[in-house]
Amino acid sequence: MTTTTLDDVWIRRLNSLQLVLAGVLIMAPVVWMVLSSFKPSFEVTAYPPTLIFAPTAENYSQLIRTTPFFSYAVNSLVVTIGSAGLGLLFGIPAAFAVSWTRISWPAVLTLAARMAPGTLFLLPWYVMFRQIGMIGSYTALILSHAVITLPIVIWVLLPSFDNIPRSVFEAAQVDGCSVTRILWRIALPLVGSGIAVAAILAFVFSWNYFLFALVLSNGDTKTLIAAAFNFVGEGSTQWGVLMAAATLIALPPLILAMLVQRWLVSGLTLGAVKG
Amino acid sequence: MAEKVRPGKGSMRARAFAARAALSIIAVGAFAATSCAADFDWKKFQGKTVTFLANNNPISQALLTHKADFEKLTGITLKVDGYQEQQMRQRLVTVMNAHSDEVDVFMTLPSREGQQFAAAGWYADLTSMSKAEAAGDYDYAGLSHALLKAATYDGKLTSMPMNIEGPILYVRTDVFKKCNLEDPKTIADVEAAAKKIKACDTSITPFVSRGLKPALPYTFSNVLHNIGGSYMANGKSALCSPKGKEALDTYSRLLRDYGPPGVVNYSFPQISALYRAGRAAMSFESSNELRTVMEGGARLKDTTLIPFPAGEAGQVPTAIGWGMAVSAHSKQPDAAWYFVQWATSPGVQKQMAVQGIAPPRSAVANDPEYRKWIDEEPVRKQWQAALDVLAAKGSSEVGYPIVANPESREFIGQAVQDLILNQKTVDQACADADKGLDALIARK
Amino acid sequence: MSGAVAKPTQDRQQLELGALSAPAVVFTVAMIAFPVAYTIWLSFQSFSATGKQSFAGLANYSRLITDGEFWHGLWVTVALYILSLVLQLVFGVWLALVLFHAKRLSGIVRSLFISPFMMPPVVAALMWLVILDPSLGAANYILTSVGLPPSDWLASPVWVIPTVALIDTWQWTPYVALIVLGGLQSLPPSVYEAAQIDGASALKTFQRITLPLLLPTIVTATILRSVDLLRFFDIIYITTQGGPGNASNTLNIYGFRVGFEFFNIGYASALMLTLTAIVFGVVLAFNRLRGAVAW
Repeated sequence: MTTTTLDDVWIRRLNSLQLVLAGVLIMAPVVWMVLSSFKPSFEVTAYPPTLIFAPTAENYSQLIRTTPFFSYAVNSLVVTIGSAGLGLLFGIPAAFAVSWTRISWPAVLTLAARMAPGTLFLLPWYVMFRQIGMIGSYTALILSHAVITLPIVIWVLLPSFDNIPRSVFEAAQVDGCSVTRILWRIALPLVGSGIAVAAILAFVFSWNYFLFALVLSNGDTKTLIAAAFNFVGEGSTQWGVLMAAATLIALPPLILAMLVQRWLVSGLTLGAVKG
Repeated sequence: MAEKVRPGKGSMRARAFAARAALSIIAVGAFAATSCAADFDWKKFQGKTVTFLANNNPISQALLTHKADFEKLTGITLKVDGYQEQQMRQRLVTVMNAHSDEVDVFMTLPSREGQQFAAAGWYADLTSMSKAEAAGDYDYAGLSHALLKAATYDGKLTSMPMNIEGPILYVRTDVFKKCNLEDPKTIADVEAAAKKIKACDTSITPFVSRGLKPALPYTFSNVLHNIGGSYMANGKSALCSPKGKEALDTYSRLLRDYGPPGVVNYSFPQISALYRAGRAAMSFESSNELRTVMEGGARLKDTTLIPFPAGEAGQVPTAIGWGMAVSAHSKQPDAAWYFVQWATSPGVQKQMAVQGIAPPRSAVANDPEYRKWIDEEPVRKQWQAALDVLAAKGSSEVGYPIVANPESREFIGQAVQDLILNQKTVDQACADADKGLDALIARK
Repeated sequence: MSGAVAKPTQDRQQLELGALSAPAVVFTVAMIAFPVAYTIWLSFQSFSATGKQSFAGLANYSRLITDGEFWHGLWVTVALYILSLVLQLVFGVWLALVLFHAKRLSGIVRSLFISPFMMPPVVAALMWLVILDPSLGAANYILTSVGLPPSDWLASPVWVIPTVALIDTWQWTPYVALIVLGGLQSLPPSVYEAAQIDGASALKTFQRITLPLLLPTIVTATILRSVDLLRFFDIIYITTQGGPGNASNTLNIYGFRVGFEFFNIGYASALMLTLTAIVFGVVLAFNRLRGAVAW
């Protein structure tokens, strides 16, 4: 009836092998980065590359000492959480509406901001926000970053909403539910994994985006990613500190991903349809 | 004050009066003298805020360690916005294109963008301020004339020099000794040495310099000038002149035949890393990279530093420097000027000098305290000696002396890369470059 | 139940649906209307060296058509796009399946698998610059250790595009995998149960059932990657600046330099708008496909 045990074992072994292979290929450079963050800068570019070395925390301590790392991190958090939140707030209903009506121009419109090179927005936005005196405010940064997160949320959620069979909605409609209630009570719980993915992606994209912060922030609201640039320059190239900065900057998105894992794996199913 | 004349003591009185008068004259004179020196009111703009857009390199880092001194002296609050060089330029371009007054003072590189920014009207004119509104001890005349001239366009002084820098040759004395070579005195020596090293030690790259397209004009210009060539002649591009061709050929040959694999991507990060790791015998790179190269101490004792060896025209090293400029859109240029003059004053530049920033003032370079710091390490001595040559004989011409200097570097870089990659002959490469450059020169 | 009752409810529904997507639409229009209009206006201007502006009509666009650099940039952009997209879709789906079947993998390890795209792209590029250095990098060290010839990687005019595609694939395959994984999670398990009962092999299951059901998600991932890949910038800017020569000079890099380094704002605007139009066309095409594969 079902596949034989031999097949099962074979498949499982093959899967483990693929997992290990993928893991090595993906993680090797990341491991290189983390290891390098514990090497003095001149050793990062030493040849042959050293795997065994005397680790030092000097890079991290220099990073914390010479840059206002903590305040940059706070700025980045405020902007990222704000823009990801805004993206989710506007994006979830929009994705639902587009999915239901199968009218996709709103989704394509929000993606328009991602079709143009980011540099196209620099000067006009600077002029716009300067007029209303919002250069250097969190608001300007959150709004500009939300232009990035909104399309991601919408487009990631579209297939999730599309996957819900229409019969579910029809059943609810017969019950007299309004569209909005259908969204919040019925559709939303069914797209948990989609929202998890959307949240992670919105966070990561906003967190790592530096271009808008370059012109719209000032000294007080400068984001963390700007700090990462400072370590490769003429007369002051510090690979070790750069890798330390990279490691620290990659931590918050990683932590978020670990926290949100549950919804990704829980295998939310369309139990509503069964039976 | 009313004096009671007492009869009988006339002469004594007269002498007393004369003495008193003399004293008061001396007093007034002394007062006048001190008030001339103290005439300069550092606190004139107390309470104002000046915004400084900085390129986050060692120069500004050294300067800003003394930020508190400035704020105490003038009562001005200094707001600093520091970014890596290319980011800073991007931000500056955006702010200036929007005619915003957000930035008061910014760092600029006249050799690259001076003419371009001046044509765009972004610099405030510092000519009169630097002479008339400077503190007594500013010593305007003590600043490098060459650098000041390089920052002057249409008679307007656009920035004050902060430092002097240029490409110099880092030489591995131990490798040279091993291969029985003397320090190179001419460009021909460099090539001969590279050839010999290639045969005598296969584990080391004989020569490394910039091959990355937008970055290589910095080092290439030095070779061109040493050979006696120039970028422009009679208003047209002169890369196809005999000297131009010789320079293109020599520079590209050095990198192609004696340079590391992948040199067409090389700029200061890779060059310094390669030399520091002991994998290059000669490295032709910026004097700013000294600290990076010496990190870890491996190269401290086996390196000598010289300006690029002479060609037919002798040594005409490339000598440039960062400058401090006041934004033409700033609403408080006078207060901004206070920061600029403080930052480029002899006192501050002396402090920066012992932090490793080569000063654009010969007086500071010869200052005994600085000399003491220099003498601590033979490498530093050679470094300063090389920079002295740069200060004396240097040329600021990196790329074409036109408004579109940054764009001209693309054509120079393309020509050299075509030759390194063996994709064109010298005649073809220079002809293609000249064609594009002539069009660029003609563009109004 | 009767027609008279259904109609008002339907109108009200349409209104509600419109209200649901209104915030997103209004927000987007408010943010991008001025920049786009301003750029269009700029593309009809010409700027002299001294910043003097004058109306230039279609001059920038006619220059674009005859500009060899533009066509070369277009070729580089498209080549890089297709190569990267194919690699990322294939490996992304593969990785998603591997992760999906590794149900007992801990959350932490699973997160590490998708971590590459959490690094800032600029920092990742700097890291690869060191790893791929022909003289100092670990990549050539590994190659020579196993007896293979070393490569110039990013410095080779021939191999720079595949190398850049490789770096981008390393970083963004986990991103594609994450999106596809989300899609896999929402597939109805009843379909799998039916397949198992029928005794279908794993490969057949994948081909006949999983893949078709995954198509909408894959098309989404394609659209999202396309808008980024066609505007390829960060890695090239950090590693090769468009070189060697102009072997990796994508349209975005070219437009950026024309505008920000050469101060030719009018022409740069024309370039950027042309690139935007190209991306728009590609998105429309894939959106049509999305409608076709929806189930």
